[in-house]
Amino acid sequence: MSFATFKTISLGNIRLHICPSDKFKTTTLSAFITNPLQVETSTKNALLPNVLGRGTKSYPTTVALRQKLNELYGAGSFGDVFKRGERQVLQFGMDLANETYLQEAPSLIEDGIRLFCEMILDPFAENNQFSPSFVEAEKKNLKQRIDSLQDDKIRYAAERCVQTMCEGEAYSLYTYGNAEDIGAIDAKSLFDYYQQVLEKAPIDLYCVGDVKVEEIKTLFAKYFDDKMQQATREDVPFATVAHHVDKVKMAVDRLDVNQGKLNMGCRTQISIRDEDYPALLMYNGILGGFAHSKLFMNVREKESLAYYCSSAVESHKGLLFIQSGIEEQNLERAIDIIKEQLVAMQRGEITDQELEQTKATLSNQFREGQDRAFELIGFHFQSVLSGKARTLEDLLEKVNAVTKEDIQKVAEKVELDTIYCLRGQEGEK
Amino acid sequence: MEKLDHPQLKETLYYEQLPNGLQVYLLPKPGFQKTYATFTTKYGSIDNTFQRVGQEKHQVPDGIAHFLEHKMFEQESGEDVFQQFARQGAAANAFTSFTRTAYLFSCTNNTTENLLTLLNFVQEPYFTDQNVEKEKGIIGQEIKMYDDNPDWRSYFGLIEAFYQNHPVKIDIAGTVDSISKITKETLYNCYHTFYHPSNMLLFVVGGIDADQIMTLIRDNQAGKKFEPPAKIDRFYPEESNAVSEAKKIMKLSVQTPKCLMGYKEKNTEVNRTGTDRLKQELATQICLDVMFSPSSDFYQSLYDDGIIDETFGFEYSLEPGYGFTLFGGDTHHPEELIKRIQEEVPRRLSTGVTQAEFDRIQKKRIGASLRSLNSLEWIANQFTSYRFQEADLFDIIPTLEKLTLEDVNQRLKTHFQPEQFAVSLVMPK
Repeated sequence: MSFATFKTISLGNIRLHICPSDKFKTTTLSAFITNPLQVETSTKNALLPNVLGRGTKSYPTTVALRQKLNELYGAGSFGDVFKRGERQVLQFGMDLANETYLQEAPSLIEDGIRLFCEMILDPFAENNQFSPSFVEAEKKNLKQRIDSLQDDKIRYAAERCVQTMCEGEAYSLYTYGNAEDIGAIDAKSLFDYYQQVLEKAPIDLYCVGDVKVEEIKTLFAKYFDDKMQQATREDVPFATVAHHVDKVKMAVDRLDVNQGKLNMGCRTQISIRDEDYPALLMYNGILGGFAHSKLFMNVREKESLAYYCSSAVESHKGLLFIQSGIEEQNLERAIDIIKEQLVAMQRGEITDQELEQTKATLSNQFREGQDRAFELIGFHFQSVLSGKARTLEDLLEKVNAVTKEDIQKVAEKVELDTIYCLRGQEGEK
Repeated sequence: MEKLDHPQLKETLYYEQLPNGLQVYLLPKPGFQKTYATFTTKYGSIDNTFQRVGQEKHQVPDGIAHFLEHKMFEQESGEDVFQQFARQGAAANAFTSFTRTAYLFSCTNNTTENLLTLLNFVQEPYFTDQNVEKEKGIIGQEIKMYDDNPDWRSYFGLIEAFYQNHPVKIDIAGTVDSISKITKETLYNCYHTFYHPSNMLLFVVGGIDADQIMTLIRDNQAGKKFEPPAKIDRFYPEESNAVSEAKKIMKLSVQTPKCLMGYKEKNTEVNRTGTDRLKQELATQICLDVMFSPSSDFYQSLYDDGIIDETFGFEYSLEPGYGFTLFGGDTHHPEELIKRIQEEVPRRLSTGVTQAEFDRIQKKRIGASLRSLNSLEWIANQFTSYRFQEADLFDIIPTLEKLTLEDVNQRLKTHFQPEQFAVSLVMPK
């Protein structure tokens, strides 16, 4: 079966990517605005999606805006911010019912695109500033979001591992900014900042659904591009990936936990732009990406030390993270077993079965993404962000061609950087 | 094989009940890469006291349904069945809820092999004293992981506040103490009671050919021997209408308090089946949406006053024998939140839902249901859950379309009665 393809169209200095497909019952819209990840702006970027979701020029109150979305057959609408390498990306999404499946409904596509564009380009503002009451409410909400990270011990431990490992690098900044920087932001400064973003930041628009390319192009030209300044957009640089480790960092935090959390961070020296990226994906899959992987088999199945123990790759900064939840008295034992697995990878101790299973499950993971509109968009946008166009066919072919030797070469590049443990308070005396 | 057409949704479902009692449903989805299959038994954590006709009555340790789910992956060959799924490129998993245990996989290749693997491993238990002991360490860590999750704790806190006796108040995984009592004999007893094909449902959805897949399943099942189906009696203790505790407070290691509230269904409201059950669920969800979604003035006033944040949400659970609404989230002002809710709900009971509110939320719900039909996972899991309550997933949209304002206002009056209200509060230590 062939894979979905996007047609990319330049609208002024914006890119519009369209994927016509009749397998979904909705039409999915998405917009990505790419910013550098910087301490000066990370908190503002984190605040923006929620402020923009509060009201627009035509629907100046949140209740009016939300009611309009409901009238569009519950158009799902969201705004968020995420981190890829040292970039912080604003994402907006909308999902519109396809009227073919409704008993009685007018076409929702034009109304939907108009509202989607208005939420991004014409948020509610007066006297060149956002509504101060929206901004103040969203500041409180953001503060609570940042504070509550500590209440989710698994996420908290993962974040503390990143902070320890990447201290001094932009990547250490939290996706949702810094609580201390919230106070200084006001309705005017945030509005001014957003205007700069709209003028300078690269923008990618997406549409997936049972649509005609020409129609979507015309609608986005009318409701988005015609309202934009035609300034040059500045490319945001890719993160520095190469990083050699002199000494493994160890960090321990103590909080009131029932179970210790163990996070280990590695530098892979490889990013999504590199030729050996498919081999890195295979490395991660054999090490800890699946239920047949070394970490799961050794830490959980052989030793019964954990319920979860897995690894994941950050492909735009070249990092690999291992995470597990471990009874405190077993933390050292678990660290030893995990280190043994890293060494086994370096020695090329990979069975034919592990190679075959990981190729099969990794390829499956990528192919499954084809059946979800937001994943289709996400995969395509990854390649836009990396500056290296890569189709799914191409990636699958390369994954399939990876050899044990290729994986061993990756293993030789991977360096353990940081071991982070979140422990309970009892042992602290 | 029966063919069930749903022309408005452009879906065709195929159904057959096999001679051994197994219900099989197939939903081909042209254009999808993926096939997703669930093999589900009507057996969950609440089924802890039971009797097969002609045998003695058993009361089994808390958490055994979930424990059994873990142990099904063990095979006589000594190989974990995850290994086989991985070779065949599938992602396999399982879950246990209050009322169901489901085994599942998704794949984009080798559908036939994966389906046979699923059917065979679930129908070939292999428990030994040793593999049962091994699992106690792993599940012990799973329990501790949930102990560190304050959202999970506050969710169970609310159920405990509602229920005096019903086993829905017992954690699905049990406790370290209760699982220590599990033996291979008790596991086999539960297995033979609840895993008979006549108590199970197989759902396959995705890029499949219905005739070919049905033949495969039919042949596989015809080749196996089962005892004749035996009626299972399940015993649940008497539960009064009244809540167990109006307010349950827990102190945990959190920065932000968590406040969940809701209304417990009276005994007269938890035994409907078929379309009546569906109608009850949809009408209750509309009530919740009208009062508590971001398109309501009430939500916005709470948000702008800093009483709630974006974590505020709501849901409705309805199963044979129990049911409740639930709403809430993180808040620094739990007492104020409870007070405002206790003012708003009675106000609503006197004014009712208006026609305009109903029309908007009805549209929103229709659109949201359509969006859910993009997800193969949602279709398979929800279909099964509804089927076990003699209701039909594909009736959701037609039932929503037929629902009236009067239905919703009637439900509002029946469900949101002050004496059925309870609160679960998680406070910082």
